[in-house]
Amino acid sequence: MTSPRQGAEARAGLAFALPAFALILALLLAPLAALLALSVTDYRLGALAVQVVGLDHYAALFSDEVFRRSLRNTFLYVAFVLPGAVFGGLGVALLIHARSRSRGFYEVAYFLPVTATLVAMATVWQFMLHPSLGPVSALLRWLGFGEVDLLNDPSLALGTLALIGLWQVIGFNMVLFLAGLSAIPRDLYEAAALDGARTAPDRFLRVTWPMLGPTTMFVTITSTITAFKVFDTVVVLTRGGPLGSTETLLYVLYLEGFQYFRTGYAAAMTVVLLAFLVLLSILQARVIDRKVHYA
Amino acid sequence: MLTRRSTLLAGAGVLAAPAAPRAQAAVTLDVLFANPSFARFFTPIAEAFQRANPDVRIAFRQPAPNYDEQHQALLRGALTNQLPDVAFPGFNRLPELARTLAPRGQILDLGPLIAEEGAAWKAENFADRMLALGQVDGRQYGMAFNASSPIAYYNPELVTRGGGDPDAFPTSWDAVVALGGRIKAAAPQAMGVSYYINSFDSDWLWQALVQQGGGRMLNAAGDAPAFGDAAGRAAITLARRFVTDSGMQLIGDDQNRQQFATGGTGVIFDSPARLNVITGLVGGRFPLRTASFPITDQARGGVPTGGNAAVITARDAAKRAAAWRYVKFSAGPEAQSIAVRMTGYLPTNRHATAEQFLGAWYRDNPNAQSAARQADKSLPWEDYGANGPRIHRMQQELLTAVMRGDTPPEAGLERMVAQTGALMRG
Repeated sequence: MTSPRQGAEARAGLAFALPAFALILALLLAPLAALLALSVTDYRLGALAVQVVGLDHYAALFSDEVFRRSLRNTFLYVAFVLPGAVFGGLGVALLIHARSRSRGFYEVAYFLPVTATLVAMATVWQFMLHPSLGPVSALLRWLGFGEVDLLNDPSLALGTLALIGLWQVIGFNMVLFLAGLSAIPRDLYEAAALDGARTAPDRFLRVTWPMLGPTTMFVTITSTITAFKVFDTVVVLTRGGPLGSTETLLYVLYLEGFQYFRTGYAAAMTVVLLAFLVLLSILQARVIDRKVHYA
Repeated sequence: MLTRRSTLLAGAGVLAAPAAPRAQAAVTLDVLFANPSFARFFTPIAEAFQRANPDVRIAFRQPAPNYDEQHQALLRGALTNQLPDVAFPGFNRLPELARTLAPRGQILDLGPLIAEEGAAWKAENFADRMLALGQVDGRQYGMAFNASSPIAYYNPELVTRGGGDPDAFPTSWDAVVALGGRIKAAAPQAMGVSYYINSFDSDWLWQALVQQGGGRMLNAAGDAPAFGDAAGRAAITLARRFVTDSGMQLIGDDQNRQQFATGGTGVIFDSPARLNVITGLVGGRFPLRTASFPITDQARGGVPTGGNAAVITARDAAKRAAAWRYVKFSAGPEAQSIAVRMTGYLPTNRHATAEQFLGAWYRDNPNAQSAARQADKSLPWEDYGANGPRIHRMQQELLTAVMRGDTPPEAGLERMVAQTGALMRG
């Protein structure tokens, strides 16, 4: 039996939770439901009549050459960016962490790309990579690579975008790893030294790396999501070209939804993208979680 | 971060505040246009209009980043009853917009309003060609405001080095290609000619190549592609020849403009609306010149007209009447002379070239004349319907493959016609 007091408490508790719950409903769950509903209709922006087409869009998606190509491009991009983003960020953080006086300088230098708005940087990249005016092309010619056009050669464009993606994300990951490094207690290193871990690789493998487990997990998952959502470099630098070699999932989704106005089809695509992200995050969390030590 | 979207672009184009509100203003018109940089002529035109019509206030909405996003904003506004009172959709989006808004009763047919002004007024101010740009399915939904057709921009120094005469730009495509080849031979670092349909942000330049040879993208009924003919074959063969014979490299559209501006390209083709921008990019590096677009078929050939038309989407009578006054003013000689001076667009009003408006200015700015000289060759920018942007992407990809030499021109054209037809059907 609940006493009147307990009942009052429960009601008060509900009242306190209600605003937050209402917000979750309005901002997260309702849009998701709308998305799922749209994805089974043939809705076009501005249309007066809407028909339910069931799972037709999903069936069409996997036979759509453009979608399959974008899926392939996105996975390639993630496969390229992810290792670089995690290990690059870690490497930079380790190097900087050991600095004392110049640390501030390096932190700012590596973090600058994160703060730079990419749309504004696009002009700079376009010029840097210009096949006849750009310094990068001139450098490659000087090094004996001949005429290399990093943005307009279909076999190189995606890799170029991946490098730019890395340039952007490494600084961010570095900050996360630096925070992780600072949180490792010094006495662990002393204890390890007493136990015979004298060389740097030893200390790294026995203390630093295991203690960075939670950070690494977080960085891996956020970097995966960031890489999956690659969009602005595509829009401003290649618009998906040349020959569709840089069409990524999010860009194709944008084209379908906001350029072709096929809202229903774009919604189905979004559901697939969401499913991929959720699956990948769960998978990574499961795998990594088993190996992570929480201090 | 990667996720940070370029919506900031729209925000960055902060629009100059509309003229100060007037106490006597009885009607406020909500106006939407695309391209934030256009504020530099929309604002002075609105000020001039308000001086002449103190009872109307013009309030600009945040300009859309481009025609496609404006189109999207208008469709959204149609659903939520938040349409502006006057909008300036791009010519290639007007049919689609009119066909969506007309059944909903959200766009005004301007035909009766023009009829009220009288046949003499209509004939004095507008060429039939210009009025036709605003017609959809036989109804006058828009009044042409900005109009342009592609022109040649060239570097006279490179043309001279290639043995050409800067005062006599070639009028045939064979001569243009040959000139490009000679420029490339004389200056191996440079591109002779660049005709960047591989990266241009619409199918406008590709349509120009077909239309100048007397071809059309669509049949008379407008329901099937018609460029699989001799004119289409000539156009796609020419596209490949720019690469093989004129030293063109397949680079981005901005990259092309940058390279031209630094003296690295002999000839490019672009919109006269970019005259001010390209002149600014070139700075004083070389004495930039322009020429009219070479037209092979003098009888049937022409150039597609880019730009935008004013449409009225207001619902109540008082706003509609005020909106018509604003639209009339915008298409009038005073407003046209403001817009033309600041861009390089063609005037859409017959009176605008008169001495008191643009006459002297054209004499002082010969580069602006190239577009005006081909005004009688204006053809509509043909519209494939709802799947237009998708068709453009598909065509651009095939054009790139042909220009790279991956696909033979004939086969590329055949596929392009087949896929265009398929996408038009559904």
